Amino acid sequence: MTLFLQELVNGITTGAIYALIALGYTMVYGIIELLNFAHGDIFMIGTFVCVSIFAAFGITLSSSPPTGLALVGVLLVTLLGSMAVCAVLGVVIERFAYRPLRNAPRLAPLISAIGVSLILEDVAKLWKGINFITVPQIFPQIFYHIGPITISSINILVIVVAVVLMIALQWLVTRTRTGRAMRAVAQDREAAALMGVNVNRIIAITFFIGAGLAGAAGLIWDLQYGTTIFYLGFTLGLFAFTAAVLGGIGNIVGAMLGGVLIGVIEALATLIPDSNNGGIGLPHGGAPWHEAIIFIVLILILVFRPSGLLGQRTPEKV
Amino acid sequence: MSIANTLVPARDTRALLIKWIVGLLVPIAVFTFVWSGEAIINNALLSLLGTGNVALGISLFIQLAIFILILYATVIALAGYLVAADSGQRGMIALWIDILVFVLVPLLLVITQGLIIGLALCAIVWPLFFLVRRRFAKALHYTPPQPLQNLQILDAEQRAELMSRGIMGGFWFSVALAVVWLVADLIFYITGTLPTILLILAVIRTLILPVAGYFLGRLGGVIALRRTLAQKDNGNGESSTDRAGRRISKRRQLQELSTSHKREEARDLVPNDLPLRSTGAQRFYLILIVAFILFYPVIDPFLFSFGTDGRLAGYGDAGYYVILALGLNIVVGFAGLLDLGYVAFFAIGSYAWGIIGSTQLTNLLSLPPINPHLLSALFWPMIIGAALIAAFFGVLLGLPTLRLRGDYLAIVTLGFGEIVPIVFLELDKYTNGANGIVGVYSPAFPGANWLSATPYYYLILGLIVLTIFVNIRLRDSRLGRAWIAIREDEIAAASSGINLRNTKLLAFGAGAFFSGIAGAYHAAKLGGVSPDNFSLGDSIIFLAMVVIGGIGSIPGVIVGALAVYSINLFLLAQLDTLAADPSNPLFAVHNAIASVFPGFTFGNIRNLIFGVLLVVIMIFRPEGLIPSARRRRELHAAADEQVEVGALDVVPGAPGFEDEVRI
Repeated sequence: MTLFLQELVNGITTGAIYALIALGYTMVYGIIELLNFAHGDIFMIGTFVCVSIFAAFGITLSSSPPTGLALVGVLLVTLLGSMAVCAVLGVVIERFAYRPLRNAPRLAPLISAIGVSLILEDVAKLWKGINFITVPQIFPQIFYHIGPITISSINILVIVVAVVLMIALQWLVTRTRTGRAMRAVAQDREAAALMGVNVNRIIAITFFIGAGLAGAAGLIWDLQYGTTIFYLGFTLGLFAFTAAVLGGIGNIVGAMLGGVLIGVIEALATLIPDSNNGGIGLPHGGAPWHEAIIFIVLILILVFRPSGLLGQRTPEKV
Repeated sequence: MSIANTLVPARDTRALLIKWIVGLLVPIAVFTFVWSGEAIINNALLSLLGTGNVALGISLFIQLAIFILILYATVIALAGYLVAADSGQRGMIALWIDILVFVLVPLLLVITQGLIIGLALCAIVWPLFFLVRRRFAKALHYTPPQPLQNLQILDAEQRAELMSRGIMGGFWFSVALAVVWLVADLIFYITGTLPTILLILAVIRTLILPVAGYFLGRLGGVIALRRTLAQKDNGNGESSTDRAGRRISKRRQLQELSTSHKREEARDLVPNDLPLRSTGAQRFYLILIVAFILFYPVIDPFLFSFGTDGRLAGYGDAGYYVILALGLNIVVGFAGLLDLGYVAFFAIGSYAWGIIGSTQLTNLLSLPPINPHLLSALFWPMIIGAALIAAFFGVLLGLPTLRLRGDYLAIVTLGFGEIVPIVFLELDKYTNGANGIVGVYSPAFPGANWLSATPYYYLILGLIVLTIFVNIRLRDSRLGRAWIAIREDEIAAASSGINLRNTKLLAFGAGAFFSGIAGAYHAAKLGGVSPDNFSLGDSIIFLAMVVIGGIGSIPGVIVGALAVYSINLFLLAQLDTLAADPSNPLFAVHNAIASVFPGFTFGNIRNLIFGVLLVVIMIFRPEGLIPSARRRRELHAAADEQVEVGALDVVPGAPGFEDEVRI
């Protein structure tokens, strides 16, 4: 039981990161029905940008980390810097790789997105090399013991940042003029255009926000795991995309829920015993199977709820 | 009318003859003298006469001779057809430039750079040419001639004229070819590179060629005539064939079609403004391509000197990608079901033959090993077996996805594609896990040496032909039309009585079937199965092949598979090897970049180049390289349809009209 609760905490932390990335997928899908394969790689670029900003502040693996207000300042600047770089990157990608294909057959932008994903990975390779990059641990790691389980200060920071950003996004989408325009474009692009919404601008803003959230996820990933590599975006992007679908693609709350759920499943999967040692379980234990387990859960959920957990079953247009 | 009279060209025909003889003679001369045409013929003849490399053997001679005969005969008949079919509207220079860019440049690039790199370079040259041509046309305010100004029903006299032009085309082309060839041979003889016996044969050839040209030209003329509008015989209307009647109504249809349709349909008819692109000429190209592919293993040593086996092995690999792409095309292209986990079925097919075709299965069951000869022979039934197993899993995957739409489907298939390799990797009791299966037997076939690449070349060729045939039949069948109906509109299809469940499951099954075939071939060719070969990246490559080629278009998908294979898995994989050679221009490029980015290798930016190509191709050809005609019509139906002006709020020509029409 202790192990279970501990893994639950770990799962929620990872899930918060998945959720932040999933938001980008779900927003873009909601508005132009595109599987933005490059989104995970934007997140990866975010993790790289954070490393560079740390370096610009003179924070390296050997230097002693800043404390007090300096730490807060560095974190804020890094967060904003990473979000800004990623957001601009997202808009640039939209402008050059997706906008020309707005009226093309549906799979053309998908292939274009895959192309962008490959480009970003190799740019990252040229930028920082092909090996794992260790990120300096600047956030003081304090362990709190609540009963039998342990929560680190970083876990708390990750969850706080994620929750704050999600609430901000929810506010933006439901309460502001821009958010209303986004929802309008998502519902019916032509009708929104007729009502005076600048569709191209709204789509660009969507990419801006989605990619910005991926940038934020980049920072909290660096804080939580302290290591990154150029292909990180592919795997994480895959899980985030799964999270978006699980929650109901196009649905922001669903993406958050899906992200946390996948993080938890992934963490709990490691508890499955190794059947090679005798007894019930999977060969080699649950860890190597976690991806398969996530997808099996996904398939099962979709069999019973074909539009995801929170997705609404929209009446089909005839 | 005597033969001599027939062969004296009239004035306008003379211009046509010069146009086509020069146009065709230059490439064929380049093939014969610069490349290896002459060498192939001489070797074939020498091996027949027993004075040359006798080891080559008689079967080689026969194959070479057949290839050479088909090649030259086809080109001569093509000359006849083209002279007969050309309406003469397009100028001589324009045609020569076309032939230069589309025939001569590829030929020279392939000769100097090898087949795949040569063709890849063409893919760079051609878009540049189109760009320049468009710029020029704009700068000169060039308007292309109206199509089919002379679309007319030919009377008997005109038909006779057409026929005689065909004969003259074939005859004079062969005369020119014979003369050029004889002169070249004489030069070779004087410089001492040609044995006397071959010179005698050359003289005989010079005499035979014009005669053959006469008859082949006639053949070209006949083919051209079959594509004309025949005159309706008014004298006895009853005897007018059904065929002629159809032609007339076809013409009437043409008048009512839009210009683009007109152009499309007009390619069938003679006389023709673009004879090189007419369907008649396409038949000739098909013959040439088939002959080339069929005899490739024999002529390859003459064309590219050493290294035949390695090249053939490479083409064999390209072949199973073609099968995979065609299989995926059934699911994605015909039925419109986005499948991101197609690699799973490929893995299942590979493991199916891998486990049965090695000692793996008998070891697992603690049985005595099967006789290897028997096991090898088992390949033939098991290739179908592997395909059926894969198809079964295809249907299994289809079941939970029936209620899903669009991208929910994509993620489930993607998940399936991730699960299957994990299962193979982790169930190492049965599959050897990360080590994979080794010692998989190759197929058995009497007389074939499976240690060389040639049998695999023919095996994959046979499998591709089978796949293409089945694909075409499927597409045109009731089932295929049901798939396309589902792709276009699921609800409408269901309302028309299509059983969605069965049709979708059959699409998944049929698609997986072919990847099972490819998988079994892959395992046999590799002699083993490794779990590294089945990742999401591979699924994405397959999808890219289908989309780049043109969704739903069978020739497009074949071209797409070959293009993606040759660029991504062949050319880009070789960049570092090429750059290591100081004589290669890439060497300097590599050094220049490496001075900016230390430790730079082309391997590191391989995906970058490929990614840029994907984006660029999609932006410039969003419907793929060769879009399927049917889909193109569907996609542009709104643009082509006449719009009733009264029903619009915006007057045609006013701003915003385009958008209005599109909605």
